[in-house]
Amino acid sequence: MENKKIIIDPVTRIEGHAKITIDLDCDGKVEDAKIHVTQYRGFEKFCEGRMYTEMPAITARTCGICPVSHVVASTKAIDEILAVTPPQAGINIRKIINLAQILQSHTLNFFHLSSPDFIYGFDAPKEDRNIFKMMQTHPVMAKDGIILRAFGQKIIEELGGKRIHPTGITPGGAAKKIEESQKEMILKEIPNAMKIAQGALKYFKENLHKFQKEIDSFATFPSLFMALINPDGTLEHYDGVLRFIDSEGNILEEGIDPQNYKDYIGEAVEEDSYLKSPYYKPLGYPMGMYRVGALARLNIASTCGTPLADEELKNFKALGGGKPVLNSFYYHYARLIEIIYAIEKIEELLNDDETISETVRRTSKVSKNRGVGCSEAPRGTLFHEYHVTKEGVITAVNLIIATGNNNLAMNAGIKQAALAFVDGNNITDGALNRVEAVIRCFDPCLSCSTHALGIVSSKIEVRDHNKNIIKVIERN
Amino acid sequence: MRIIIGYGNELRGEDAFGVDVIKELQKLSLKDTKLISVFQLTPEIVLEMLDADEIIFIDTCSNEKNHYKLACSLTQQNGLNLSHHIAPKTIIYMLESLYDKRPSFFIYSMMSSSFDEIMDLKKYRECVDIVVKHLLD
Repeated sequence: MENKKIIIDPVTRIEGHAKITIDLDCDGKVEDAKIHVTQYRGFEKFCEGRMYTEMPAITARTCGICPVSHVVASTKAIDEILAVTPPQAGINIRKIINLAQILQSHTLNFFHLSSPDFIYGFDAPKEDRNIFKMMQTHPVMAKDGIILRAFGQKIIEELGGKRIHPTGITPGGAAKKIEESQKEMILKEIPNAMKIAQGALKYFKENLHKFQKEIDSFATFPSLFMALINPDGTLEHYDGVLRFIDSEGNILEEGIDPQNYKDYIGEAVEEDSYLKSPYYKPLGYPMGMYRVGALARLNIASTCGTPLADEELKNFKALGGGKPVLNSFYYHYARLIEIIYAIEKIEELLNDDETISETVRRTSKVSKNRGVGCSEAPRGTLFHEYHVTKEGVITAVNLIIATGNNNLAMNAGIKQAALAFVDGNNITDGALNRVEAVIRCFDPCLSCSTHALGIVSSKIEVRDHNKNIIKVIERN
Repeated sequence: MRIIIGYGNELRGEDAFGVDVIKELQKLSLKDTKLISVFQLTPEIVLEMLDADEIIFIDTCSNEKNHYKLACSLTQQNGLNLSHHIAPKTIIYMLESLYDKRPSFFIYSMMSSSFDEIMDLKKYRECVDIVVKHLLD
């Protein structure tokens, strides 16, 4: 049998545009598999020459789904350049908006992108394995997803000014204080949001037993993990320091100031993808593969710091038997716990008297020529690094995006799934769907990670070793 | 109630067409009409449309050959999709399947090939005016 290459292009039910190639050997067995991110926008370059004050608005446009993360990281980088510490109310407002975005983003992934796989199974006919079928058979779940996402978006709109590309987070703090009426409006919706979140978690756990093979082979391997964490070991999405742990749970680096991230993270470039491959520098490339995002955050944190999330965190950590959970399928589990955490934390922050203080912003002038902003985006740790002249003109920009951090792990994951499920002599839609589903575990935002805008459509091509297309599968 | 929703990115040249139509309509006093202006259509926007008898979508449609031509059909629209942004048909599908709502709906699209800048402001404004006038008639 001649060598063949399977190409899945584009990958579906993710944010952005990518294709997967699977190389088969002469016996039709999987030899290698890779994800290629195929678009490029060049934010780092065209930001040069702009005033630092424009950066939050410009970099928010990197993405339509997680603009809040970019605004948070961007304003934190500028805070550094201005050498300004926002007032606590400003910090709390930023935290609430960031948590609202994590909530709505995780909700979209579970309820609308990944749920068809959980409900109908990975081998279900593709006509049935989609959100539209789910609306017919599970309308309550579909509506719950809409309500929960609307809750997150409403918070962003109320406190940030706009649902998409909000302007309420500004260098030095926030643009305006939280009004009592806004606080009450949000608090009123907390019980229903929590009920929906707990219902989703219950559904997920009750159905987990159906997916043992996927749990075992969807990017299940040793790797490092990285996340922000508070000094007391609690979960953190806004502040804190960076921590690396290994697959045994040993702390490799503790208390890393995000300003020094370049001492620990290198960025490799592969010629077949616009998505860079960050790695842990002390171990080199590609040995320094690490994972970020909800799975990493919950592996690294000892507690969430909120009661309901902590209760579930115990069950999550039990899966690892005292060590980090290595199965990327459990990203879904971790995201559901983080939704619960986000709801609890938003309530806690809103009930903090500091949050509704009058003073939400401090101003200053350019004091340093470099600043790094770091936060936890829905998909993982996000870095914005800016260099400026003393007049505040941007001279250099480096962005490490959450999804990029996971690039090496995503590649290793699709290879593992391809080896487990793809038979070159009998290529099934279910097998290819599983390879895609590995990527959906990471919930990548490729629009962000390459700073490229993608269009999601549905086409799978199978090519032989001469790159002739021998099979095409249309998904829509 | 009639809902008119214009959507597009104001930083992307003629993609702002739907938003600009809404801006003109906001200057008028339209009876029993709700005006919505958004960057993109998202799943939760369906919650704002539950009381609609009629929904009118206004957007820009990428088409290099018919620049500044106006269309009022669904043929140029994307099919069903659902991600962080969705197609008008998906909203209609969600209203029907999840909420048992069946509003009549139309889509006004301006054909454009310019998503960096407004190529011809006079023609662009004429298109805005035509759609506004049509909606008022």
